[in-house]
Amino acid sequence: MLIQLSHIQRLYRSDEVETTALQDIELGIGHGEFVAIMGPSGCGKSTLLNILGTIDRPTAGSYRFGGEELTHLKEAALAKFRRENLGYIFQSFNLIDELTIEENIELALIYRTIPKSERRSRVAHAMDRVGIAHRARHYPSQLSGGQQQRAAIARAIVGQPRLILADEPTGNLDTENGTQVMDILQTLNDEGATIIMVTHSPSHADLAKRRVDMLDGQIVISVRNAI
Amino acid sequence: MIASIFRSVLRQTRRHPLYVGLNIFGLALGIGVFLTLTLLVRYEYSFNAGFTDADRLARMDERWSMPGTTPYESADVSFRAVPFFKQDFPEIEEVVTFTKTNLYVQKNGQFTHFAGQTTDPAFFRMLSLRFLHGNPATALTRPDGLVLSQRTAMTLFGKYDVLGKIVEINRSGQKTIQVVTGILAAPPSPGLLDDVDMLLPVTPQERLTRSCFRFWGSSCGEILLKFRRPEDIASVNARLFDFVNTRAAGPADDDVSLGPAPTKTYTLSIVPILKMHFHDVNVEDTDNSVEQYVIDSIGLIGLLALILGCANAVNLATARAGLRAREVALRKTLGAPRHVLFGQFMGEAMVVSLVAGLCGLAFCEAFTPAIASITGEAIRVDYGFIGLLLPLVIISSGLASGVYPALVLSGYQPAAILAATRMPAGGRRAALLRNGLVVGQFSIAICIVICTLVIDRQTSFMRNADRGYVRSGLLIGQQMHSQDIGLQRRMMDTLRAIPGVTSVTLGELEPNPHSLTRTTFLHEGSKGRIKVQMLRDRVSSDYRDTYQPHLLAGRWFDAEHGQDDGPSNEEFENGNGNWNVIINSKAARAFGFEKADDAVGKILRTDAKHFTIIGVIEDIRFSSPRESISPEILFFSSLQRIAFDNPVPAVRFSGVTRMLMAERLDRAWRTLLPDVASHFAPADELMETYYSGDERRGNLFTLGAVAALLIACLGLYGLAAFAAARRVHEIGIRKTLGATAGQTLVLLLQDFLKPVFVACFMACPVSWLLMRQWLNGFDERIALSPALFLLAIGGAALIATCTVLGQTLHLARAEPARALRAE
Ligand SMILES: Nc1ncnc2c1ncn2[C@@H]1O[C@H](COP(=O)(O)OP(=O)(O)OP(=O)(O)O)[C@@H](O)[C@H]1O
Ligand SMILES: [Mg+2]
Repeated sequence: MLIQLSHIQRLYRSDEVETTALQDIELGIGHGEFVAIMGPSGCGKSTLLNILGTIDRPTAGSYRFGGEELTHLKEAALAKFRRENLGYIFQSFNLIDELTIEENIELALIYRTIPKSERRSRVAHAMDRVGIAHRARHYPSQLSGGQQQRAAIARAIVGQPRLILADEPTGNLDTENGTQVMDILQTLNDEGATIIMVTHSPSHADLAKRRVDMLDGQIVISVRNAI
Repeated sequence: MIASIFRSVLRQTRRHPLYVGLNIFGLALGIGVFLTLTLLVRYEYSFNAGFTDADRLARMDERWSMPGTTPYESADVSFRAVPFFKQDFPEIEEVVTFTKTNLYVQKNGQFTHFAGQTTDPAFFRMLSLRFLHGNPATALTRPDGLVLSQRTAMTLFGKYDVLGKIVEINRSGQKTIQVVTGILAAPPSPGLLDDVDMLLPVTPQERLTRSCFRFWGSSCGEILLKFRRPEDIASVNARLFDFVNTRAAGPADDDVSLGPAPTKTYTLSIVPILKMHFHDVNVEDTDNSVEQYVIDSIGLIGLLALILGCANAVNLATARAGLRAREVALRKTLGAPRHVLFGQFMGEAMVVSLVAGLCGLAFCEAFTPAIASITGEAIRVDYGFIGLLLPLVIISSGLASGVYPALVLSGYQPAAILAATRMPAGGRRAALLRNGLVVGQFSIAICIVICTLVIDRQTSFMRNADRGYVRSGLLIGQQMHSQDIGLQRRMMDTLRAIPGVTSVTLGELEPNPHSLTRTTFLHEGSKGRIKVQMLRDRVSSDYRDTYQPHLLAGRWFDAEHGQDDGPSNEEFENGNGNWNVIINSKAARAFGFEKADDAVGKILRTDAKHFTIIGVIEDIRFSSPRESISPEILFFSSLQRIAFDNPVPAVRFSGVTRMLMAERLDRAWRTLLPDVASHFAPADELMETYYSGDERRGNLFTLGAVAALLIACLGLYGLAAFAAARRVHEIGIRKTLGATAGQTLVLLLQDFLKPVFVACFMACPVSWLLMRQWLNGFDERIALSPALFLLAIGGAALIATCTVLGQTLHLARAEPARALRAE
């Protein structure tokens, strides 16, 4: 098992209201899996993804990655974990406006000790893969939504992570762009990356190897797609 | 429109209290500092300006350029020329003498000191002075007349209407009975009459006997002139050279005149009273003067504070513009024309400026008494003036701080704004402007801080510098007004007998000397004939133990050596002979001796008198630290044969507190000279006036520096807050990608502090130039060490870091998931 979540709970306390975003989540994900998470809006998908990505901490429960317990790690250790293992694709792209596409992608590498020349070549390679090399010097605001999403994917894969988390990577895209993105993800999965993707599109979910349905912060069903 | 502007400002304040608060506070502080310092500058420029026909009034100064000394200008002049002025220059309407005298009024054995001036009856007419009681035209025509200031009348009698009252005046032991003939109303402006308590007529006897009325070379007080037309001042000034050459010339051996070619060493020059306050910095025998450029710098600091406040407003407003971008875009989509929006935003800036102006006025009210007590100047908040200035300030700072943000805001393209996911920062140009403003603000602030540090160092350096004698444990008395050797001996013996006194001496010079006598001496040595004009002092036996000067070479005077004793004044004027003297190191250098030892045994000559140098002492500083030390010659009197001329006793003591010692000395003095007020004081007290002015102005700079730094930090804080709000999201992304809190912190601090560091490098050369110029005005000065600059830079960087640290830490520590949600 690459990932083992047990009894994961996430509460949000604000003033008087207490929201249970996740409740007693049990989930195991193996190496090389491609998991699609589905469920109605507000059921806790993004919260789950954030916890998997260690940018949010569970209120209770255990999160093991490759056999190592992550919930007790300090902030700095988590940052190290993220830069070595994770690629993150956000629903709203989350590119930095002040940086060029190239610089945005390079961002995933500059917190590691990688020589400048190697960073350059890896960034170029990642841009080639998603087909936005000709936009390297542009700023995010000068790109279309589909191009921005592909830039975000390039940033997620440039560090060659073991785990790619994608929060509605096709949510803002038209059918054609959506299909392109799914193709890229599938290729990455074929190359060995483990992928966890949130989506509202049943057809995209069908392209994954496994589908997890959520409702009100709980996992209701987890099925393996026939390939 | 107006109502909607006010509503909008209110809503902004509710929604972003921090930005609006910083904006108003910064601007208010700038306006407050500006108003206060403007009041001060206006006050300093108002000296003597209130007198009627001030532009026709002037003072006659002497300029002496004696061999071997730096030329100097003196306000105390000879009155020998007075009768000739009206004869030779028809342009001169009136001439009066104006001589400072120390007056005492004795009551139940207690002396009260009053600052007096003796003058001529025409004085009040010349200045068109108003009296509360009495007739200005006749007040001083009777020789026993006496005009009091309001304050003095109140001190002496407890009321103003005291015409005809009798006052017994004691001028250093010489008593006269005067009748009050006038009470002077408060003078129309600061200047000439500041600190004048009493005015008396010059007595006919004084006119006949006092040397300054008889000899060109002697001086005692000021000459004030009134010209018929303002432009006459320049034309008369141009003819004074010829005037001196005709009127002051005489045979070489004549005491009255200045020899066959008087203008070789002596000229006269006219100083308009309007220029006196600034001009007098370089004039001897004047007080209450200040360098014009110091006052201008203080005015500049005020203006800079205002500019800093406006820069702050621009900065925060452009930053805040981003928050309102959507509002603008929506309004535009709904059809609002650009100029209406521009008007709206300009109006808002005006309202903010108005509020800031009113708060600034409150600041000004609070600062002014503080500034008044720091500077010792009688400034107050003059509403007639503020009423004119403040609206101008409000409008101009409203315009200055409003135009650019209003242009930016009203210029937003709706489509771009509405399509963007995040609030715009106004593009790279606006970012450049914001950083530029921060650089400017900090450059100014750091520059002022550096100047403040240098001024502070220099003033404390001057206070603590070695003055060539030991100041602690030393008390210095009053001038004795005596040529009586018996009295002088008794004074020495009486003081020496007091328990706690370890040594007593007499000297003719003291710290802040009451009079200076200079004579030119000549030395013929390997470098040819060298003439040096030297300051003369005469000291008695225990001078060395009392003042403890540093002997650099040779020996000290000894009563056993017959040749050490003398000469007497009589012998010096007319006789010939050989005597031993000690000179200071400045004199030794002036005569061309490379080492102090070289001077010992050498002969100085004046007329037929020969003086053998037996010792050289370190320069003793009794004069202002701005003046260069004079070459000095010391004569000796063992008090067996030769009397001192108005000596000043000085006492070294130990084992007793200073207060107690002074009390004992004053009591002993009274047994010998009951009619002369006694005040034994430490050297520092006597020389206080030389140091306090620079110190007070130093304090002003400190205030300016604090205000400037505060405003600059407000700006930086606001910008950091804004940038922090804008960058929450970016930091979330960076952290998701694996950046640690530490890395994020460094990144943010670098960005925030970069402008501050740029500012440091801009401020250094400017302040270096400014301070080198200022330091050049001092005879002894500190070096402009890089340490001071580093200290200022370090301090500014530290303060700036603290300013942004809170927000930076908060931002760097934020949980990425929460940061990413924040939109
Ligand atoms: N910071 C927060 N404070 C309070 N409640 C929160 C917070 N973040 C999420 N929630 C709540 O947690 C629940 C799950 O939110 P989450 O963002 O995970 O939903 P989601 O499944 O991703 O929905 P969508 O498909 O709309 O993106 C929601 O009810 C949401 O209101
Ligand atoms: Mg979501």
